[in-house]
Amino acid sequence: MFFQKDIVFSKKRVYLCKRLGTMDNKQKALELGQKPVGALLWQYALPAIVAMTASSLYNIIDRASIGQMVGPDAIAGLGITLPFMNLSAAFGAAVGVGASTCISVKLGQRDYETAQHLLGNTVSLNLIVGLVFMVVSLIFLDPILRFFGASDATLPYARQFMQIILAGNMITHMYFGMNAVLRAAGKPRHAMYATLFTVGCNILLVFAFVWWLRWGIRGAALATITSQTMALCWQMRLFSNKKELLHLKRGIYRLKAQLVKNIIAIGVSPFLMQTTSCIIVIFMNNQFFRYGGDMAVGAYSISNSVVMALFMFVMGITQGMQPIVGYNYGARKYDRMLRCLWLSIAAATTILLLGWSLAMLFPRQIARVFATDPTLLDMSAHGIVINMLVFFVVGSQAVITNFFQCIGKVKISIFLSLSRQLIMLLPLAYVLPLFWKLDGVWYAMPASDFGSFAMTLPLLWWYLRKFKAYGEKDNH
Amino acid sequence: MEKKIIINVGRQLGSGGHDIGRMLATDFDAQFYDREILNIAAKESGFSEEFFEKNDERKGFLRSFLHLPFSNTATSDSFYQNNFSQEGLFKFQSDAIRKEAEKGSCIFVGRCADYVLRDFPNTVNIFITASMQFRIENVANKLGVSTEEARKVIEQGEKHRAEYYNYYTGKKWGASQSYDLCIDASILGLIETEKFIAEFVRKKLDMTRTSQTS
Repeated sequence: MFFQKDIVFSKKRVYLCKRLGTMDNKQKALELGQKPVGALLWQYALPAIVAMTASSLYNIIDRASIGQMVGPDAIAGLGITLPFMNLSAAFGAAVGVGASTCISVKLGQRDYETAQHLLGNTVSLNLIVGLVFMVVSLIFLDPILRFFGASDATLPYARQFMQIILAGNMITHMYFGMNAVLRAAGKPRHAMYATLFTVGCNILLVFAFVWWLRWGIRGAALATITSQTMALCWQMRLFSNKKELLHLKRGIYRLKAQLVKNIIAIGVSPFLMQTTSCIIVIFMNNQFFRYGGDMAVGAYSISNSVVMALFMFVMGITQGMQPIVGYNYGARKYDRMLRCLWLSIAAATTILLLGWSLAMLFPRQIARVFATDPTLLDMSAHGIVINMLVFFVVGSQAVITNFFQCIGKVKISIFLSLSRQLIMLLPLAYVLPLFWKLDGVWYAMPASDFGSFAMTLPLLWWYLRKFKAYGEKDNH
Repeated sequence: MEKKIIINVGRQLGSGGHDIGRMLATDFDAQFYDREILNIAAKESGFSEEFFEKNDERKGFLRSFLHLPFSNTATSDSFYQNNFSQEGLFKFQSDAIRKEAEKGSCIFVGRCADYVLRDFPNTVNIFITASMQFRIENVANKLGVSTEEARKVIEQGEKHRAEYYNYYTGKKWGASQSYDLCIDASILGLIETEKFIAEFVRKKLDMTRTSQTS
């Protein structure tokens, strides 16, 4: 009974702290160590899932609109631009993740002076990186797109889209950077509002620009930039409030070597991860173009949207499990940690199984959302079925990879997260088409899904044995 | 000496900073914290002590991958600042340092205490160096290894310490302007060096006291 009371009390405190915006570390730790794991996972994963799904919903509506209103070449062109967007995001993430981590450290030490300078330096860095990326990309736009797999038919669409996206590149970088800083400054809720706002605004604008005004692929790009600009204005207003501990003022924008060094040191890893995903898409686009032409690139882009939409649920779950597993590992409450792992695996697999059965039963209907052209429709339906052949195993693969990250086994976690995409997919997508042409490229994806899944199992088994030994030792 | 004092000792590996800190603690009747602070931080946070020890005074490159939100789209950025990353541990640790410093006179060895306690009154920041020869002998004796291995231990350990300190404080580890007194312990030997430092501490505190009363 005493235990129960304790939890109720801590719940109250947690609620109070949340209202005051100052949930202190200790309270949070208490909650993570005592509350039932299922409820915790629900509490932490739900907002992440909502935000993830919202953004993937936006992606789907974007592509569906272009597929319906502009045509098959446009959707292939959009697929070509994806790695470009990823690359830009990689630079954005390098600054954003680095800066937000540094700022939260300084805030934790009540070193507001340095935190303030970090904020200013983040603004400057974002502007510089965004500007350089924009100028370089605009100058070499055509050759870069060709390298990414654009053909004579798809190049104009890709170019039109990227010109607008790149023109707004500084805004995009600033928006993501400021969102990361908001979160570090103890305003995760505001950051979530900003995300949801851009997504909602984007969807409305896509309908206005693409469906109503018929601005084509340019309209979609314009919708993205406009909604980000509006969100950025709001973020800037938040940060100009002099009452806030962290606000924009004069004299903080000049870059300081030590601060920039710290930001970059942390930013390198997200940058590398983003870049690898960019390399993979470039390679896959080129393979699809080589064996199946523009239509295959379009079909790949469509099947990828479906896969990503489902995968977002899994990522929401993995983000939710991070603090729970991390804390309980540190506190040596291994039973709670393992329970969270199993629950996450079960949840992720259930969701993917649902999505998988839908995709297996109605591939044509799903493809119909993105395409009107009969050839593209056939190809996409075919592609969705093969791409997702064993997709339900990806859930446990992603959860287990993330589990290793949570318990600080960084090398294993990096290896596993690279295994699905880089280590397995690239060679398979190169070798298989030598025998089976276009179908070979498609089959490379389920093959690498399964292969990487098979790799995670022995590693997990090996680790679990270790924890079991610990648990028994603690009991005696 | 009824007044509260805080002495923060930075030290090169093998310079005898730990022993000097301990002697200072008996001299000034203060609590002594080196690794002990990890124990307190662990108790405060509910984490195991082992967990803190693994992350003690080191900050590697690969570890920065711990910040990764597992995602490959720009729109999906991680929702929760992971409080249990190294930065989170550092926060727990520095909270523990501050809490102990509130209680009474303390000697802290390492762990960026000089930075953590920068706003506290009556603090003295010391950095202890020693010749490479002296340090290698010390480490070789303590760990029972060859001089070659001792040299390696020192080089590795100091790299970690410097990275750790520079990252969290934004200052440079061992740079003289960060400290009130930097001293080479191999010149006077540990005992005499400690006496010298104690003298310095007394003088500094006397000065602040007289300036306060007048």
